[in-house]
Amino acid sequence: MPVNETTLASQVFDQLRQAMASDPAGFTELYRDYLADAWQALQMLRKAVQQGQAEELRANAHRLKGSSLVLGAREVAQCASALEEMGRNADVRGAGAAMAQIERALLLVQTELSDRLGPAVVPADQTAAL
Amino acid sequence: MVAATPIRVLIADDHPVVRVGLRNMLQADSLIKVVGEARDGVEALELARKLRPDILLLDLAMPVVAGMEALREMTSGNLNTRTIVLTGLIDNRQILEALQLGARGVVLKDAAVENLTECIRAVMQGQYWLEGQPVQNLVQVLRDLTAQTAPLPRKTFGLTAREMEVVTLITEGCTNKDIAKTFGISEETVKRHLTNIFNKLGVGNRLELALFALNHNLLPAEGG
Repeated sequence: MPVNETTLASQVFDQLRQAMASDPAGFTELYRDYLADAWQALQMLRKAVQQGQAEELRANAHRLKGSSLVLGAREVAQCASALEEMGRNADVRGAGAAMAQIERALLLVQTELSDRLGPAVVPADQTAAL
Repeated sequence: MVAATPIRVLIADDHPVVRVGLRNMLQADSLIKVVGEARDGVEALELARKLRPDILLLDLAMPVVAGMEALREMTSGNLNTRTIVLTGLIDNRQILEALQLGARGVVLKDAAVENLTECIRAVMQGQYWLEGQPVQNLVQVLRDLTAQTAPLPRKTFGLTAREMEVVTLITEGCTNKDIAKTFGISEETVKRHLTNIFNKLGVGNRLELALFALNHNLLPAEGG
């Protein structure tokens, strides 16, 4: 199946997997930790949007962008970058649509990772989403 | 045969997932050893002083002390550690600032897994690294970056008109011989000019002079 590069950059994934070839469980754990952190970040982003907390929005979006970039989740990173910009400009108009987009993107990453690494990569509180 | 000494790396990023990912990726290279991890700018500075790594991978946006401030501290701390800036997004002004503060490379986070080991090796060999590759001509890059950022008023710092001209030629990569030929003077005279310039500006070599000139807008505007 062709890999959607914006969902999960295969070169990044493959290179990291190769680097951690001696520790496949650790590799799965790395991506599980990423997903758990990302879902948590989404909750914080949602709260920041609802409460109009621009700095919280910027900081959490920036953090999510960083981990997503390093692990190859490029669409999540792009959405997070848009939210970061909104936070920086203290202008959350359009944040609702961006939140919906980032959630969809993260779900796609999670599904892709589950296909590749098995259900163990999905954080316990997200298994119902699959 | 003597085994090569591993390159000792300190990772500074506030996100644990990023640190774990980078650590595992780097340690797959037998010539790289991650000696420490820092969660913020203060910890990065403390660990850099304590561990004396060869390379500090420094996230620009960190809590407590931001990356740029940590970089400034690193440079003034007289450590031999070479710093590579890790960032999600960076504009020309920030690249220029990072280089002026002593950074030896800039790696975007989305290219970190693909480029970082190569960047580290290049920096350890004395090269600079920008935009996914070694920098061939740092002075030219600095000139370009400076030209792309808003100009500041030109200052002279007590330099004579001829010394200003020498500075301009130095930043263009001219040798003493080139400068002597351009002005129809001896190389000894060029050296005297350079000594005076170094003394007036408080710099120690040609690269520092070029960086100072670009940082302090000592050069004439392009075409001017």
